[in-house]
Amino acid sequence: MKTDDMLNVAKILLEYLPNTLKLFFFTLLFSIPLGVLVTGLKRCRFKPISWLTNLYILVMRGTPLMLQIVAVYYAIPMIVKGAKDSVAANGGEIGGFIQFLDDCMHSESYMFVALIVAFSLNYAAYFAEIFRGGLEAIPVGQYEAASMLGMTKTQTFFRIIMPQVVKRVIPATANEVIVLVKDTSLATIIAYAEIMLKAKQMMNTYSSIMPLFIAGIFYFVLNAVVTAVFMLIEKHYNYYH
Amino acid sequence: MSILEVNNLSKSFGDLQVLKDISFSVDKGQVVSIIGPSGSGKSTLLRCVNQLETADGGEITVDGIKMLTTENGKAVYAPKKTLRDIRLRIGLVFQNFNLFPHKSVMQNIIEAPVHVLKKSKQEAVAYAEELLEKMGLTGKEKSYPCELSGGQQQRVSIARALALKPEILFFDEPTSALDPELTGEILKIIKELAKERMTMVIVTHEMEFARDVSNHVIFMDGGFIVEEGDPSKLFGDTQNERTKQFLSRYKGTN
Ligand SMILES: Nc1ncnc2c1ncn2[C@@H]1O[C@H](COP(=O)(O)OP(=O)(O)OP(=O)(O)O)[C@@H](O)[C@H]1O
Ligand SMILES: [Mg+2]
Repeated sequence: MKTDDMLNVAKILLEYLPNTLKLFFFTLLFSIPLGVLVTGLKRCRFKPISWLTNLYILVMRGTPLMLQIVAVYYAIPMIVKGAKDSVAANGGEIGGFIQFLDDCMHSESYMFVALIVAFSLNYAAYFAEIFRGGLEAIPVGQYEAASMLGMTKTQTFFRIIMPQVVKRVIPATANEVIVLVKDTSLATIIAYAEIMLKAKQMMNTYSSIMPLFIAGIFYFVLNAVVTAVFMLIEKHYNYYH
Repeated sequence: MSILEVNNLSKSFGDLQVLKDISFSVDKGQVVSIIGPSGSGKSTLLRCVNQLETADGGEITVDGIKMLTTENGKAVYAPKKTLRDIRLRIGLVFQNFNLFPHKSVMQNIIEAPVHVLKKSKQEAVAYAEELLEKMGLTGKEKSYPCELSGGQQQRVSIARALALKPEILFFDEPTSALDPELTGEILKIIKELAKERMTMVIVTHEMEFARDVSNHVIFMDGGFIVEEGDPSKLFGDTQNERTKQFLSRYKGTN
């Protein structure tokens, strides 16, 4: 490939970088809080809830994300159709959540919504396990000391336990976020227009593997930034061991 | 006036009965040492009195407030609010300190006064400074626990417990996680507190210290109180075979 062509490829990939970034940031935005919620549900004393949560984590971690993307992408329309049919058969009116899904399905950004749902559900399962690990690593003595000082459960959690969990989960979370940067490329399976899809298309156009390498550089640079950010966060928490 | 009264306290872990019919009382200003072999139930006793373990039966009264009673053979605890009240009147110093690692020395000490007792930060800091001076830790306010020696950490944890102005302070082997050369500084502080008539109950393996500092000694074995009394009597000329046997192990090492 000529230098001019390579620059052209880079320019086109750069145009699709925002789509990759959008997928990345929205997944983080939803999967981290969802991960916290899943951690809580897993520790729920009402056993059926904790079993269901375990099953959810097992499925999310046990099957390929690529498959989950496809499943969500096609499942939502099927659910909507099924629901509409059954409502229609009973002569009722479509409303509420089904209507919302239906609108969503026919909107321009349906593909993106489906991707965020699939990615968030998947990543929440991984984050939940990281957070659980961090939570369980806190010595019981911390809870006992707080309770001897008359602190309430809420105070103990937010003032004593959570800050320590946050520090402990940073390295594992960084790992997961770095994987997410690369996993955004799985969105090609439903032809979401991000870097990897364009790179593949240009591989055909130019009959060269160069576009793929250039895409690789994009991911590498993104992860260099992610790594630097997490180094800063780690440094911020370095004031104690 | 007795500030702590324990009657017929019992506690099991599964099939293992760890405390059997424990009764004793502590008077205001008294320093009580609890000694006994490993596994005899000393920590469990402290933990039951400090609400870290749930007892199976018996009675516990702290500062005149009933914490635990037994009705029809079932242990009944006081309402939550009362339990919390009681908790604020007692302090516990742990063997491994359990300081909050993410908080500085000052933050560790003022955490409860500010967020539990709702004192002003100014007032809490002023009292904390006073306590730190007493502990010989002036200048360490901004340090984090990981930057301190074991002995210093234990002194911070004593200051943290004292910050709530407890009526009675419990210690569970406060020196056994420390190097021998650091135990002295903790024992010195406990002696100073004893001089100020602080009521204390101390589980310890330091026999010489127990004899020195306490005005009452309890010897536990197998979940029972085998013998209790004046330190000079218990350490000097006990008539109890089991006590003799236990103490003979410490002869020569002290
Ligand atoms: N949470 C628990 N679950 C089950 N058994 C326990 C528990 N805590 C203590 N035990 C058992 O209870 C008995 C008394 O333990 P305890 O810690 O009170 O002894 P101790 O006198 O403090 O011993 P040491 O001098 O070694 O600290 C031991 O046999 C111990 O194994
Ligand atoms: Mg013990």
